[in-house]
Amino acid sequence: MSDETRQPHLEALLRDALRPIEPPEDLAGRLESTLTAITEQAAAELSSWAEELSEGELQALRDPRNWVRPVAAVAVGTVAGGALVLVGMRRRRQPTGLRATAENLLRR
Amino acid sequence: MSAAKEDGEAADPVAKAELDEAFEELYRSHLRDVYSYAYYRVGNHHDAEDLTEQAFLQAYRHFERARRESNGRPLRPWLIRIAHNLASNYHRDRARRPEAALDAIEPPSHPHGTEQVVEGREELRLVMDRIQRLSDDRREALIMRFALGMSNREIARALGRTDGATKVLIHRAIKQLEEEMSGT
Repeated sequence: MSDETRQPHLEALLRDALRPIEPPEDLAGRLESTLTAITEQAAAELSSWAEELSEGELQALRDPRNWVRPVAAVAVGTVAGGALVLVGMRRRRQPTGLRATAENLLRR
Repeated sequence: MSAAKEDGEAADPVAKAELDEAFEELYRSHLRDVYSYAYYRVGNHHDAEDLTEQAFLQAYRHFERARRESNGRPLRPWLIRIAHNLASNYHRDRARRPEAALDAIEPPSHPHGTEQVVEGREELRLVMDRIQRLSDDRREALIMRFALGMSNREIARALGRTDGATKVLIHRAIKQLEEEMSGT
């Protein structure tokens, strides 16, 4: 077969080999149910959360000036947590090599 | 069904309903594309179904933003890119090749004589085997082109490449197949 005739033949073969695959019939229905369930759950969670708050609290939440304190608290908490982890790691880390030998000698 | 609200968007019920409708249209139009792509990437129906579901769930979460950023361009490449990334994660997580190779798919029947049918089936098995031997990016580009009928531009968007690089990628994939087929 010549090069000119080989490529269209190969492309036809590829079209035949890689035919689109029909999804199972129940897949669309299942997918739709999953998406509906997620939306309903999200809506329910949002509405129950909103119901628990008083009108004053909702007003306060909408005001960006009140967002500074919680954000600052989260930032401070994160820094403090990070520092504790670092201190813990340093405590756990055992000196090795020359430094360990020197420290052992000094302890004696 | 209702499309996901992201970053506090689509609070207007009318806009939300319109968004839902658009998502429904997207998934009805491209369910077969995503499923076909997933199937050819993972090699079995069970995982292809899971991957398709995951792809649409991700698409659902980010639909509004994707739609806004697409500037009216078709969303199929975006959708296939999601499936592509999920398939890559699937292979990375399992660190193995597809359970069932592409050549496990039964070649189609032909309305010709018995000899031609046998010959045709052998040729199809051979081409499937050779597709398996291609590098991942070449194989993925061929799946997009031939199983999904995507244009070079669409494939480029799905793979995150330039149009030129995609054209070269497909050309080389076909050339490699051609050489390997002629060598048998």
